[in-house]
Amino acid sequence: MTRELIDPTGEHQPAGRERAARPTSLDGATVGLLDISKARGDVFLDRVAERITERGLRVERFTKPTFTKVAPIDLRHEIATKCDVVIEALAD
Amino acid sequence: MSPGTTGTTGTTGTTGTTGTTGATGLTLPDGLVAIVKRDCPTCTLVAPVLGELARSGVALTVYSQDDPTFPEGLDARDDTTLDVSFALDLETVPTLLRVRGGEIVDRTEGWKRDQWEAFTGRDGLGAGLPEYRPGCGSRTHDPDIVARRTAAACAAALQSRRVPLGDQEDDIEAAYERGWTDGLPVVPPTPERVARMLTGTTRDPGEVVAVVPPDLVPLTVEKVAVNATLAGCRPEYLPVVLAAVEAACTDEFNIHGLLATTYFSGPIVIVNGPVVSQIGMNAEINLFGQGNRANATIGRALQLVVRNVGGGRPGGVDRATLGNPGKYTFCFAEREHDSPWEPLHVERGEAEGTSAVTLFAGEGPRGVVDQLSREAESLAQTLAACILPVPHPKLAMAFDAMLVVSPEHGRVFREAGWSKARLRDELHARLQLDGDDLVRGAGGIAEGLPEAFGGMTIPKLRDGGLLIVHAGGGAGLFSAIIGSWVTGPGGSEPVTRTIGT
Amino acid sequence: MHDIVNLDSAGTPGVMIASTEFVGAAFTQAEALGADPARVFVAHPIQDRTDDELRDLADAAVDEILAELTAT
Repeated sequence: MTRELIDPTGEHQPAGRERAARPTSLDGATVGLLDISKARGDVFLDRVAERITERGLRVERFTKPTFTKVAPIDLRHEIATKCDVVIEALAD
Repeated sequence: MSPGTTGTTGTTGTTGTTGTTGATGLTLPDGLVAIVKRDCPTCTLVAPVLGELARSGVALTVYSQDDPTFPEGLDARDDTTLDVSFALDLETVPTLLRVRGGEIVDRTEGWKRDQWEAFTGRDGLGAGLPEYRPGCGSRTHDPDIVARRTAAACAAALQSRRVPLGDQEDDIEAAYERGWTDGLPVVPPTPERVARMLTGTTRDPGEVVAVVPPDLVPLTVEKVAVNATLAGCRPEYLPVVLAAVEAACTDEFNIHGLLATTYFSGPIVIVNGPVVSQIGMNAEINLFGQGNRANATIGRALQLVVRNVGGGRPGGVDRATLGNPGKYTFCFAEREHDSPWEPLHVERGEAEGTSAVTLFAGEGPRGVVDQLSREAESLAQTLAACILPVPHPKLAMAFDAMLVVSPEHGRVFREAGWSKARLRDELHARLQLDGDDLVRGAGGIAEGLPEAFGGMTIPKLRDGGLLIVHAGGGAGLFSAIIGSWVTGPGGSEPVTRTIGT
Repeated sequence: MHDIVNLDSAGTPGVMIASTEFVGAAFTQAEALGADPARVFVAHPIQDRTDDELRDLADAAVDEILAELTAT
């Protein structure tokens, strides 16, 4: 059974969890690449990193210890501190 | 179960409707209809009679309010939802109806042999049973059941948008994720909780209470109730919250300006009148501190309304440099029972014996210590000296102040026979300042009044700029001064509002 | 998906890349979390592709990935 709450807001905005606001441009941004540690994901991400770097963006690479659990807090913190945006790959 | 699913209960279903099936929308089978419950000695008593009637070939339909396996062998219909019982407005079980052409033509309650015989046209019913046994209360009169049904109906009728939660979402986290909180956890606003909150007011949930800045959203009683639920209020606090919201949203109080300022202040709610003891507010020990549910949640509810409905949040419209902890909640009651003076709301024009809120745009309290003044003049001198720096010794007229006089300090004025008006006059008299001291640059301080005020006598506070209340614990020779946000056009004026129901 | 939702909630805009096999599961999981994370799907299968094929998938997806990270 779906649990429901009653919206306490003025209802001017969507009721769900909102996505973080995107920057209008990625110029000068640092893009984090988070490898979830499933096989072959690294090959994919290596290429994504190349193509992003070609466009003049900085890339930071991160790897989850295991794809079976959420990323540890310090890893998330590191990503949030070092990166403006993040790409997580590759779930299959 | 929600009303209307079976199509039998009409509007609220709590009292149902009497009389014919047409009016209730209920379709009853022709013949005899009996409504019983297992948990009823009289129903148990008449079970054999019902068996007799069924075996004699009479068209008999039995509804059970609690257990359709009772009575045995009669294949009773399940009315555990009580839809049928509510539609029939039952008071008693067993109730026996005679139905013809879909219409109820006769009804009887309890067991009375001659009545049942006349009713059914059969003699010799219930051999061995007493002549008469009264029935038991119908389950539709069980207060818990009635309350739950009313709440379900109210919950179904709420107009606000529903927010579905994901299966894996924690309901406390969900509120944080959607930005509904003030940093502390809120009570998840389920439909049942909001419905229960609305029982605290007689006002219609759809009634518009105010238009809330900055988004200028029309605020309904229902929306206030949702935020009062978040805050942790009890239903009986709701009328106080409603009055506080109404007062805050007036032009004079200027909640929008107050919200958008870089200044410290937030809305402070002072409560007066019989409501204080009715809802158990604190006017005494640890007045400004934690511990009392009504104080804590009423102030919080107002902030949450501003935040959630008005759209005014820190970092958004709210850009306060430092703010103050009172912006989580700041609400207290005046200690009227042993006050030397008339209460704040009466002074401000409310009738004696009514309850009211006063909204004051204030910063955090500044403590005043004076443990040695036995004379009123000396204590007044202390208070004036402590008002002077609010919010800067060289500023005047632009800010108001509220003086919270504790009982031990109040006693000094009582013993000297000083009315509140006298105290106020004495304070104003001690706060007539020399403009030369206040002008910019004076005292080596760049802040201050424009040069033109040099040589003039300037009152620290404007007329009407000093509110005085009596509150706090009985021990302690301390009082407090709360400075306000700016007064005048563009600023805020204190506003008093009667508390309704 | 939890990671992207957590990072996004905390203020770092994110996008998750998954194979097309994952479309339904991603939808269900998003609903369960009450969130709507940005997603880009690449053609299944993944495991038995050559390195060159994976690089082609990456090339084809980069524009969409960056678009999901930029405000429109």
